[in-house]
Amino acid sequence: MPLLEIHGLTVRFGGLTAVSSLDFSVEAGALVALIGPNGAGKTTAFNVITGIYAPSSGSVRFDHQEIGGVSPHRICTHGIARTFQNIRLFRSLSALDNVRAALSGARRSGLLDVVRGPAWTAREQALEERARQLLTRLGLERLADAKADSLPYGEQRRLEIARALATEPRLLLLDEPAAGMNPSEKEALRSLVARLRQEFGVSIVLIDHDVAFVMNLCDRISVLDHGEKIAEGPPDAVRRDPKVIEAYLGSDAESV
Amino acid sequence: MAPARVSLMRRHWIVLAAAAALLVGLDTGLPHVLNAYYLTILTRIGVAVLAAVSLQLVNGFTGQFSIGHAGFMAVGAYVSAALSVYLGAGWLVALTALLPAPLARACYFPIPLVAGGLAAALAGLAVGIPALRLRGDYLAIATLGFGEIIRIAILNVDAVGGARGFSLTSAAQPAADLRYDGLGAIYAVVALSVLVIARLVYSAGGLAFRAVREDETAAESVGVATTRVKVEAFVVSSFFAGVAGALFAHSEGYVHTNSFAFLRSFEIVVFVVLGGLGSISGAILAAAVLTAAPEVLRGLGEWRMILYSLLLIVTMILRPQGLMGQREFPIGRWLGTRPRQPHAAA
Amino acid sequence: MENFLQQLLNGITWGGIYALIALGYTMVYGVLKLINFAHGDVYMVGAMTGFYVAHALGFAGHPSMVGLLVTLVCSMAVCALLGALIERVAYRPLRGAGRLAPLITAIGVSLFLENAGQVLFGADPKFFPPLLESRELVRVGALAISNIQGVVLATTLVLMAGLEFVVMRTRFGRAMRAVSFDAPAAALMGVPVDRVILGTFVLGSALAAAAGILVGLSNPKIDPLMGIMPGIKAFVAAVLGGIGHVPGAMVGGLLLGIVETLVSGYLSSTYRDAIAFVVLIAILLYRPTGLFGSAQTEKV
Repeated sequence: MPLLEIHGLTVRFGGLTAVSSLDFSVEAGALVALIGPNGAGKTTAFNVITGIYAPSSGSVRFDHQEIGGVSPHRICTHGIARTFQNIRLFRSLSALDNVRAALSGARRSGLLDVVRGPAWTAREQALEERARQLLTRLGLERLADAKADSLPYGEQRRLEIARALATEPRLLLLDEPAAGMNPSEKEALRSLVARLRQEFGVSIVLIDHDVAFVMNLCDRISVLDHGEKIAEGPPDAVRRDPKVIEAYLGSDAESV
Repeated sequence: MAPARVSLMRRHWIVLAAAAALLVGLDTGLPHVLNAYYLTILTRIGVAVLAAVSLQLVNGFTGQFSIGHAGFMAVGAYVSAALSVYLGAGWLVALTALLPAPLARACYFPIPLVAGGLAAALAGLAVGIPALRLRGDYLAIATLGFGEIIRIAILNVDAVGGARGFSLTSAAQPAADLRYDGLGAIYAVVALSVLVIARLVYSAGGLAFRAVREDETAAESVGVATTRVKVEAFVVSSFFAGVAGALFAHSEGYVHTNSFAFLRSFEIVVFVVLGGLGSISGAILAAAVLTAAPEVLRGLGEWRMILYSLLLIVTMILRPQGLMGQREFPIGRWLGTRPRQPHAAA
Repeated sequence: MENFLQQLLNGITWGGIYALIALGYTMVYGVLKLINFAHGDVYMVGAMTGFYVAHALGFAGHPSMVGLLVTLVCSMAVCALLGALIERVAYRPLRGAGRLAPLITAIGVSLFLENAGQVLFGADPKFFPPLLESRELVRVGALAISNIQGVVLATTLVLMAGLEFVVMRTRFGRAMRAVSFDAPAAALMGVPVDRVILGTFVLGSALAAAAGILVGLSNPKIDPLMGIMPGIKAFVAAVLGGIGHVPGAMVGGLLLGIVETLVSGYLSSTYRDAIAFVVLIAILLYRPTGLFGSAQTEKV
């Protein structure tokens, strides 16, 4: 049974149809990619899964539960986390605080914070410990107290991933995580993403429009163009698919 | 580890007890040392500080631009005053018959303060739920509008004086002294309130406020219920605004809606912005300095507001982060709030 | 019935005033996405300028159409300059600094004008000189329209028509609409964005000044804080019509004036000032884009 199941998803904004009758599913433990040229509807699909937009029609089921139209913060408690195409860190907070904010249990600010008994202190210390561990696992421990927007670009992207992982998701959506990176950074990110699946036991959907990046990384690639799925399958098959080549003609045809 | 923690806590209580003693000493001793004029200024500073810090929670820490704060102060002021005049006077008289006068008064006065705070919190809930659906400029205008609606509504209630203002004298109990201008107690209330707000914000749970400020979409994506957080901030902020209003009413012995027009709301916004959006220390500093300064520089008179406004304009152009930006005095660590100051990456 | 018509007339008259001021708010918001809190105080400066000009040029004791026109033009010119100055000194340095800083600065400018006005003009109210001798112009049954009301209505109409012409039929108007729609794109198309914004302030401030003079004519008591309430109400009118939408501001102003006068006349005058705020809250909660505005979606 797939962890995430999308059937006939259509998303319309006024007169524009961003996503059209999309069928898309992700098995537990999978690492799949959603690719396509700019404007294909990939981020829109992500936004529907994470509750930012509601579907115009169709269904989105996560772990057998319909989540279409559910608000974003509830989606998070269901077990879906994401990163954003344009990095959305809590910029004036430290790296540590970015992660701490995401740790469940840190959410409610209440009377306990005012009274601060020993139980509170223990809980705070535990949260800080978990946050530091997460930073360490992503190689960011040195930068724990640095302001998020002062981090180098690559580290910012990794911090966003660390923050998403702090919510203990079962499904992780990465929206163009390699955008703006040079080849060696991309290579480092690729091995990181491959590690994530094992180390954190999380299923991953990756958006990118760099086909080479997702080659040899993902189990399966789905290709969108103008809101419709035009191809799907193992990387080698997709790479040779004439429809995919045509969709990319003029942009990344060479790298395909 | 355990013994050290216990001794730290015990140290806290000793400090608090000492502070309480100091404040009681101030209450009884100060009126003999400083004349009424200075006492009034110090009282007004206390009220301004509480007003500013409570607004900071919403504007500085949660990033919601609210400019109707005086409305909630008005609710606190008037509800507490009405309570004292119509009900409290009797209670105070009864208490004074049972206990020595200073003790009786110390037992009574938390009541109107809390009542004012709760009423204002309720108003904050009523305003916050609809208003906080809006963003940016629209939220600002909505809060301004609500602040004015509150003020005009109060103005039309005859039982609290209407356009004549409301005096804290009970017709039923003319002998009861409903004024409370003990500086020590007032500052105790202010200090306690500031501590509560600081602790709410500077904790793991309190990160939610700042997450909402930094990026609402990202905050939602990590599970923060942004609307609820905004409303919570608003309600807590309104509560303390109400307490500030109640303090004001009971220290002056008289209230009039003119003290709570939106010019007052703007003034508090100025404190918060000039002190630094996101700094409790900054808000305290700005509120204290900007309330005291015009009194100290007596000759300025009507030029006070001109200077204020110029200061505001110049600050926004040259130093928009205000005095403290988002930094705090290190004293926080000593009180146990321990805010972490992020620094730039090496 | 006649009382109703009289109230309606009053409402329309005030509505015209609100509309004139609202236009300034809406145009500036359109090009800068800024709520110019100081705009109501420019209206006050207009009235005050008219007062001093009328006295200085000797129109105070000798009411005449010419006197009125000269005062009007002078006041509009002075405020046009003031608006340009404010834009240049206070708002332009903050171009691109987000939405919060300019808003706070606008509050600062507003406070400055009000308090400087109190120092310069004196806090006590003044009496605007009668630039026209009040006569009855037209009488329909018990409904009387005075010449002053007629002048106010006529002037408002002329100015609104003039603005509509500028916005829809001139190059400047086209440029203004382009900047409102998409400032960076307009800049790339060669539109001189800085000058357009300056011009917008100039136009809006001139209209506010005119409103000040017209109010001085019909309600002679003026003081440095007179801009606060009408300013807020005009802003509500602009939001009602759809902030950024020029004809919307006109409609919003008229509607607000009529509603306010009728409610005040038939229900209770003590709540007159609250009506605008109630309308404001209602719009913001149920239809924040106003009557004619269009929703803006944010790309995530």
